[in-house]
Amino acid sequence: MVDNKIVGKAKPPLEEKIKISLIVNEQAKELFVDATMRLVDILREELQLTGTKVSCGIGRCGACSVIMDGKLVNSCLVRAYQSDQKEIITIEGLGRNGLHPIQKAFLEEGGFQCGYCTPGMIMAVKSIFDQYANPTAEQILEGLSGNLCRCTGYGGIIRAIQKLAQL
Amino acid sequence: MKFTYSNNLQRSLIRPDGVDKVTGKLKFLTDLSFPNMLHGKILRSAYPHAKIISISTKKAEELPGVRAVITSKDVPGLNRFGLIFPDQPVLCDERVRYVGDAVAAVAAETEEIAEKALQLIEVEYEPLPVIDDPEQALLPSAPRLHPDGNILHQASYQKGNVEEAFQTCDVIVEETYELPRQMHAYMETEGGVIVPEKDGRITVYVGTQHGYKDRFQLARILNVPESKIRVVSSPIGGSFGGKDELNIQPYGALLAIKTGCPVKIHQSRRESVRSGLKRHPMKITMKTGASRNGKILAHQVRIIADTGAYATLGPAVLDFAVEHATGPYIIPNVHVEGLSVYTNNGVAGEFRGFGGNQVTFALEGQIDRLAVKLGICPMELRKRNLRKADDLGPVGQEIAPTDGAAQVLKAISQSPLLNKKESIEWGEGTDRWKKTGIGVAIAMHGGGLGYGRLDPAGGRLSLNEDGKIEIAFGFEEFGQGLLFVIEQLVIKEIGCSANDIKITIGDTDRVPRSGSSTASRGTSMVWHALQRMKDPFKKRLLEKASQCTGVPATQLYLGPIGIWSCGLNSEPLITYQQIAHETKDDPIQIETEFHFPTTPHSIPGGHYLYSFAACAVKVEVDELTGIVRVKNLEQAVAAGPVIYPTGYLGQIEGGSVMALGYTLLEEAIMEKGKYVTENFDSYLIPTINDIPHSMDITAIEELYEGDPYGPRGVGEIGTVAVAPAIAKAIYDAIGLWVTKLPVSREEIVKAVNQREMREWLTTKL
Repeated sequence: MVDNKIVGKAKPPLEEKIKISLIVNEQAKELFVDATMRLVDILREELQLTGTKVSCGIGRCGACSVIMDGKLVNSCLVRAYQSDQKEIITIEGLGRNGLHPIQKAFLEEGGFQCGYCTPGMIMAVKSIFDQYANPTAEQILEGLSGNLCRCTGYGGIIRAIQKLAQL
Repeated sequence: MKFTYSNNLQRSLIRPDGVDKVTGKLKFLTDLSFPNMLHGKILRSAYPHAKIISISTKKAEELPGVRAVITSKDVPGLNRFGLIFPDQPVLCDERVRYVGDAVAAVAAETEEIAEKALQLIEVEYEPLPVIDDPEQALLPSAPRLHPDGNILHQASYQKGNVEEAFQTCDVIVEETYELPRQMHAYMETEGGVIVPEKDGRITVYVGTQHGYKDRFQLARILNVPESKIRVVSSPIGGSFGGKDELNIQPYGALLAIKTGCPVKIHQSRRESVRSGLKRHPMKITMKTGASRNGKILAHQVRIIADTGAYATLGPAVLDFAVEHATGPYIIPNVHVEGLSVYTNNGVAGEFRGFGGNQVTFALEGQIDRLAVKLGICPMELRKRNLRKADDLGPVGQEIAPTDGAAQVLKAISQSPLLNKKESIEWGEGTDRWKKTGIGVAIAMHGGGLGYGRLDPAGGRLSLNEDGKIEIAFGFEEFGQGLLFVIEQLVIKEIGCSANDIKITIGDTDRVPRSGSSTASRGTSMVWHALQRMKDPFKKRLLEKASQCTGVPATQLYLGPIGIWSCGLNSEPLITYQQIAHETKDDPIQIETEFHFPTTPHSIPGGHYLYSFAACAVKVEVDELTGIVRVKNLEQAVAAGPVIYPTGYLGQIEGGSVMALGYTLLEEAIMEKGKYVTENFDSYLIPTINDIPHSMDITAIEELYEGDPYGPRGVGEIGTVAVAPAIAKAIYDAIGLWVTKLPVSREEIVKAVNQREMREWLTTKL
């Protein structure tokens, strides 16, 4: 018995390449990529910005969180054609002149352990503070509900935010 | 809403890997890329159990961009792996036993082409009956999954006579507990790059918990001497036990050797769920009897563990569960029997807690049920049966004396949560459908691998040519903060500053053998190694400094930057750099090798060093939806001195929340041997919305008088007592004894319905 689901789809991958222009961490980039290439792969593979991580690939964990035109997005769910003409901020765009206060708070309060969720988590925290100068506990919970951390149990992350927001 | 995360731990300095982690600069091994790098993909079995009739890779090989396709024929050495004994095929040839079994692998110029090539590999299977339940696997009619049958391992412990003792008991509780298949859910899935080097060696850049063990297993598979393999294995994006066994390394290595190019494999989350290890599902039946005055007299335990298709660390996990079946209690009559059984389910293996979580859930459940039946306060019942400092260990073995059990019980009994008055703050009474309850549980957990197991440790301390005090261990950094622990201990024991230290870990070409980074042993073994190395190292440095400066060694000491002379000085007499220059031809280097402390009694797997935890929780049960929320959580932990407060706190908080997930949310569901939960959309781990609004962690640092063994690791202990505490709190809230995890919302709603119906019937009719 042959597993029909696995056999017989013998087409080499064909993709239409497109030219996209985007601004990544204040630098203009022009790229010629597959139209459906994921933004996370553009960042990691085309631009060597490996700070942005991939973990679930379906927009459930937030490890690939970046800020696109001022909004937090899962970059695994954004395709190349959707990122054209957009402005992107990744973890590498933060604290280029010394550590950003969020990064400093994470360091001091143990807001990470393995560090794999950390870039996405920090971008999500930044997005909260971009929206609210003094976020409430509810706004923080809502803002971080799409970012999974398996190591810390979120205690250190909340301490870091409390330090920033004086909750 | 207010969060409080208080603790008695003074928070500390910044960990050595911290800045690179918060800036995204840190390169995980799955972030690496190399020139001419190819991408690898692994074809996993289409069936949970089948014969392989044929495999044709021709079409895949013909796909443009494909550089190599491998099957079992391409394995030059032993086509098997496994940490205890090698029974898992690297690439299956005749038969597949679970959906994670590898059948073929491809290296191609892009990941997309490799993926496409997998679809072109034609595998003809003949499906075989699927054994998806361990009890079914034990039936005489069940097909044999391995030559020796379907029992991987049996373990037992017996003392006294339980049958006779039950006759004398006033109260007996018998219950069966079912524990789920939990996924480690490390955020970085398995992956890395394997690079063929010009000198004929290969470098394996893939995370693991024991680089040397990977090297050993890979050498056996590749049929090359171990010296031809370098394993670079840190940093790692989480492991929790899940990356201790080989995962993608053999496929990457075989493909890299075949193509002569670096090969990267980074499993998708789905691939990771399908092939990765899980926590052992267990069914545990306990019968426990006590006298009227609350003395537990007899305890009978039967454990059936579903180990899945292959052995990996299954036997050791079962031994651990059997050992911990009486926990910190002294019971005169005990009979524990455990079976670990092969099935066609996902492979279960090492996972933080190592069998202790399952059996402690059952044991603490028994204690709470007995307490209710006896009408004795559950804390008091625990106290009456608790071990004393110099009692033997749980399987009758000599252990390092410890009063940790009493320490944690005392600490948790002072928790404000146990004082009902103080704990009312979450709006009880405002919603008539929300009920709150309190639960407490305690746990005892062995560290190290146990008696009769190779459990070597070691380290190296040297003054390197750059004038840095280099400390090297074969341990791994997967987030736990081991680098910080090493740094802080070196500063404390040697007297230098952080800037003087170079830490080397996670590279078999550069580190000594230290054993595995498992079993809560890392911190403990670093401390032990330094105790052995510090004095000879200091002595040699001081002698050299004395020789160079003419000042007697007795007037010198090690400090920041170099060697200082006693008295008021603004700079060292001689710097480490200068000494390194002077010792160029005979570098100062101290190495140590030793064994993890073990019990002198020959009880396989029996432990010698134990840590303890007590957990108190307050839950809120919504009777309309069945949703259980843990509102407050406290843990008291007795594991010796704290080296890295932030790390310690993070281990206990993180462990608590992982255990909260285990109790309320997580189950890698399998139906007929196939995963139903394939990603984080259906396998739910706690989000920031699921955690308690307060977590209080207390570290009890005081060791028993004369204890020479220093700090114990805390990687696991924080995960053990949480589930039974939550279960008791649910009983406290709504009167339902939970026996199966994760707690089912349907079960709660049903129980509430039945109770309300009874109440309605008795009051209205």
